[in-house]
Amino acid sequence: MKYKINFFLLACLTTLHLQADDLRASLLSNMKEFDTIATQTKQNEHYQPYIISVFHGKELEKLGVSNLKEALTLVPGVDMATDNFNNQTPIFRGSNPFAYGQSKLLIDGVVVNNLFFDAYSEYLSMPIEMIKRIEVIRGPGSKVDGINAYAGSINVVTYAEDVDDFLSNDKLVFKYGSYDYRMGGFVKNFKTQTLKTHIDFYYQKDNKNISSGPDGVSQGSLGSANVGLSQSGDAPLWLDEYSLGLNMQYKEFSLKARILQHKQGSAYGINLALPQKSDRIKLPSYYAELGYAKKIDDFHVDIKVGVKYDAFDSKAKLAPDDVNLSGVVFPNGGYGEHYAKQRVLYQSSYLKYDGFINHHITLGYRVTQEKTIAIKSKLSNLATGNAALVDYTNTLPFFDKDARRTVYTFSLQDTYDVNEKLSVLYGVNYEQTSYKNAGLEPRVSFVYRKDFKNIFKAIYSCSHRNPSWQEMFTKNNHARVGSTNLEPEKVTSYELAYIRNFTSDSYLQSNLFYLVNKNQIYNSAADPVYRNVGKTDIYGIELEYKGHIFPDDELYANYAYIDGRYTVDGVSTSNSLPNVAHHLAKGYYIYNLSSAVSLGTTLKYVGSKERMPTDLRPKLKAYTTLDTALNYKNTHYNYSVNVSVKNIFDADVRYPSPQGTYVQDYAQERRTFLIAFKKSFR
Amino acid sequence: MMRILLFIILFVQALFGYNYNDLLLKADATIFPKIMVMDKKIKNKLIDNKIIYTIVYSPCDYETALHVKKYIETIFKDHIDKYPYEVDLVEFSHLCLNTKASALYVLKSSTQNIKKAANIALQKGIISFSYDINNLKYGLFFSLIIENSTILYLNKEYLHSKNIDFVDYLLSMIRFIDKNSV
Repeated sequence: MKYKINFFLLACLTTLHLQADDLRASLLSNMKEFDTIATQTKQNEHYQPYIISVFHGKELEKLGVSNLKEALTLVPGVDMATDNFNNQTPIFRGSNPFAYGQSKLLIDGVVVNNLFFDAYSEYLSMPIEMIKRIEVIRGPGSKVDGINAYAGSINVVTYAEDVDDFLSNDKLVFKYGSYDYRMGGFVKNFKTQTLKTHIDFYYQKDNKNISSGPDGVSQGSLGSANVGLSQSGDAPLWLDEYSLGLNMQYKEFSLKARILQHKQGSAYGINLALPQKSDRIKLPSYYAELGYAKKIDDFHVDIKVGVKYDAFDSKAKLAPDDVNLSGVVFPNGGYGEHYAKQRVLYQSSYLKYDGFINHHITLGYRVTQEKTIAIKSKLSNLATGNAALVDYTNTLPFFDKDARRTVYTFSLQDTYDVNEKLSVLYGVNYEQTSYKNAGLEPRVSFVYRKDFKNIFKAIYSCSHRNPSWQEMFTKNNHARVGSTNLEPEKVTSYELAYIRNFTSDSYLQSNLFYLVNKNQIYNSAADPVYRNVGKTDIYGIELEYKGHIFPDDELYANYAYIDGRYTVDGVSTSNSLPNVAHHLAKGYYIYNLSSAVSLGTTLKYVGSKERMPTDLRPKLKAYTTLDTALNYKNTHYNYSVNVSVKNIFDADVRYPSPQGTYVQDYAQERRTFLIAFKKSFR
Repeated sequence: MMRILLFIILFVQALFGYNYNDLLLKADATIFPKIMVMDKKIKNKLIDNKIIYTIVYSPCDYETALHVKKYIETIFKDHIDKYPYEVDLVEFSHLCLNTKASALYVLKSSTQNIKKAANIALQKGIISFSYDINNLKYGLFFSLIIENSTILYLNKEYLHSKNIDFVDYLLSMIRFIDKNSV
């Protein structure tokens, strides 16, 4: 009997112990799960070993922000630039404004920079309603899994991610605005026990034309004999595009795919001659990436294989009537069709190992094969001056039809939690290409959490940007000539950051940065060949505050000071940074008038910009824009209406043009309005 | 004019909800009920043989409180550990010593309301969980934040409360915080 009681007691104790163990295991598992989600969704951003700002789509919608480009203009230290194609690109911390690939755009983790320019202008019009979150990492510290970010990286997370929402994100959106802008789109998620599917679609168009000029012909872009043919008028900056995105997740397998058919006006002209209203450039982009991710004990395997197609497809009037090119007169002007289609194949494998106490080791490679798969060059008859197009694809191609490059990237990285307050991340990337190699690039960063309110970071990092396709392979062109002898642009960065968390949702982030940029690639109207011509030393400070004036409003403000010197190789003197605003200040305030109505205001200041030393034009003027938006949300019928007015005071916003092109710079839109209607499905 | 402005501001504040982070709400909803049953004296806090997990909210946060309730009911089917349970929603204005509760989960509110909830939890000898870690300084008991990893914070002042006795392994997982340092 005694034994029976003892056995019973033992059994009870064992059961209790097991229950306790189960509970503890379950608690630990939950905590780990939330750690993973927080890291994945950048909600513990201040503890990560890089400088990051996160913007949420729903918050931006309240402000009347229409698309990705408008959202990026809110990022600390980020300015916008454009070129004669209206190839718009965000400029991080005063980096080379005429080199597009200095930042990378990822959509749900897939790099979408096109191969031709290494830019992503075609994605900047992505409607904000398709975007759940924008994570912007400034500096090269964002290098992950073989993707080199030089000046910064932008990760757009769509509503395919559904890890932390209480409600469904399915929706229908319609928008109407200035320049007869119309947009329609939807987001739909399907979910079963094992299969998750996300689809987003949008179509949008406008008829934007902005008064511009005199065009680059006035500066001799088509030779001094044609200066008198220069024109001023409306630059066709219209847009017509649709996009279909598909994300699927089945157990360990994933598929991310997107089709983007982007068509836009020919802007300021390939040869800097103002084009016709109907002239167009197509920048289609298609990608599909298959992934396999599996966790086995302390190992985590992440394998990806993908294909991406993009093209540059232009059809435009390239020169005005009566233009004289090499002694041949074109009475009806010169026309051209340029087409280059590229394909990128890539495969990456990364192994993460958490088996060593306090260490998280990642080892892997990425192989990328880039290739031009089709080109077409048609021009008006260069011998007779007849406007009818002649096929010069074989005799005078605008691009190297055999352009190809293979890139191998190897990386090793370890995050070591020295104690509960200090983490160190260190690692190297090694890259080899079929042209000039970037070589070995180290990185070290320290994150010290004094307590939950005070966080310090120190980051040292090296990175590079490989020359873009146009910088290497363009030929037979007045404005751009490529070179395969270009070295990659290189950057070494030193960053210090301090983050003060006031509450769980208010903070002040301040950081100092010093960037040493070498082998900067430039060309000019006078010398269209791309060359590594100089170095820039850039330094500055960024301050970012997010919080409240009252418990229930939202206030965001940032300020960046950027300065530095630019030195041409082989010349001892240096000059101040050209085309860079030294002061940038942005912010927004959302005030909830009631549970249904909110009022948002956005203020942006972009300081004046100096020119290149040889450019005698006065500084490009500073500008301030003020936007306001009224948002109404009906929770009963689940719809919202947003009415916004941008640039209320009609400020003259201009992006800098290079010397010898559009002397009055590139004018942007003035005061505009937008109405957005969104119906949500719960 | 200033008075009118102040009135509008105070009045408007009462009309709409505070800002919440969905992930933090979910973490709270998943983790806090488990911590509650790691109290060796939980049996003393059962009401009609079941746990009553009471969410205390301001009227403007009713939707948030309801989301949290539904989420808890999805995560924990019928039981938290071996105990049957229910989730109740109570407005700060209705919270009193007679409110049935085995533990309180306190959403954001005015300092006065937070102090009231902390005081009632203390008098009832039950655990009070806080969404906002800053409210530990007003006497709430437990909170969590997601830093580099998920960190549980316990108000040091109540470590030796005679009504609450956490299992040892939980104490090894949490960080103690002095309410004056919050």
